Amino acid sequence: MTRQAFMARLVEGLRGLPPSIIADIVADYETHFTEGAAAGRSEADVTAALGDPGRLARELRAEHGLRRWEEERSASSGAGAVFAVLGLGAIDILILLPILMGVGGTLFGLGVACVALFFAGGVVFAAGPFSGFPGGTAAAVLAGLGLMSGAACMGAILALLGIGLVNALVWYGRLHYRLLKPALDS
Amino acid sequence: MPEAIEIQLKKGALELCVLALLSKADSYAYEIASRLADSIGMGEGTIYPLMRRLQTDGLVETYLVESSSGPSRKYYRLTEAGKASFNSQKSAWTSFSGAVAGILGGVK
Repeated sequence: MTRQAFMARLVEGLRGLPPSIIADIVADYETHFTEGAAAGRSEADVTAALGDPGRLARELRAEHGLRRWEEERSASSGAGAVFAVLGLGAIDILILLPILMGVGGTLFGLGVACVALFFAGGVVFAAGPFSGFPGGTAAAVLAGLGLMSGAACMGAILALLGIGLVNALVWYGRLHYRLLKPALDS
Repeated sequence: MPEAIEIQLKKGALELCVLALLSKADSYAYEIASRLADSIGMGEGTIYPLMRRLQTDGLVETYLVESSSGPSRKYYRLTEAGKASFNSQKSAWTSFSGAVAGILGGVK
């Protein structure tokens, strides 16, 4: 492979990352080629030793996605981390996908149920005392508060579960980096 | 999967090797890559993601040096945190590899 082809495939694979990061990475590999040429190595030799540019790009992107999740725990960085791991395209991760979607869907459904429960508690709390709630005003207020705090508690547990799930996936994804594999047998 | 084990082993040792090289002398990525590629048989491209991570973790810092031939080079040097990390990783590695060697030596 020529230097030009290598760089083109690398840049192609990095698409979607912030431009400043792409520029940094490209500069690193350009320097590598320049140094290699200065040391009298051919372009084909240097590209062979560097490894598959598509694979390098995927792992650089994955690492970027995982970093963002570790720096900032948000729904969007979490989704980014999940997609970054899936982007590695390892077969056993793809087999995991249906399970992952099942678990993710269940968490989401429970989350919706939490919100609904919270509002139901609010309605009991606010409207119960005026609409003849069985047991009287105090019972309605307490029941409403109970429902709302129960929902909040469940929501917090769900959030922890969700974070744990993404963390586990991040750990699992990192096990799949294969950059170390010598370029020659890939 | 012996192949997967070998990859994991090398991956674990690679960071330690880079820190060790830098503890002897500051260096630039091409030199680190070519030295490690020869001795432990890794793809040279691996070094750049690793250097990026070490830098983000604050274990190394960079400075530019003008070169007489070609473009200026980005040199890496260990930070104080990098030196501390190297020492603790080195002692962990020494005791671990000593234990493994002891067990392997007992197997005929």
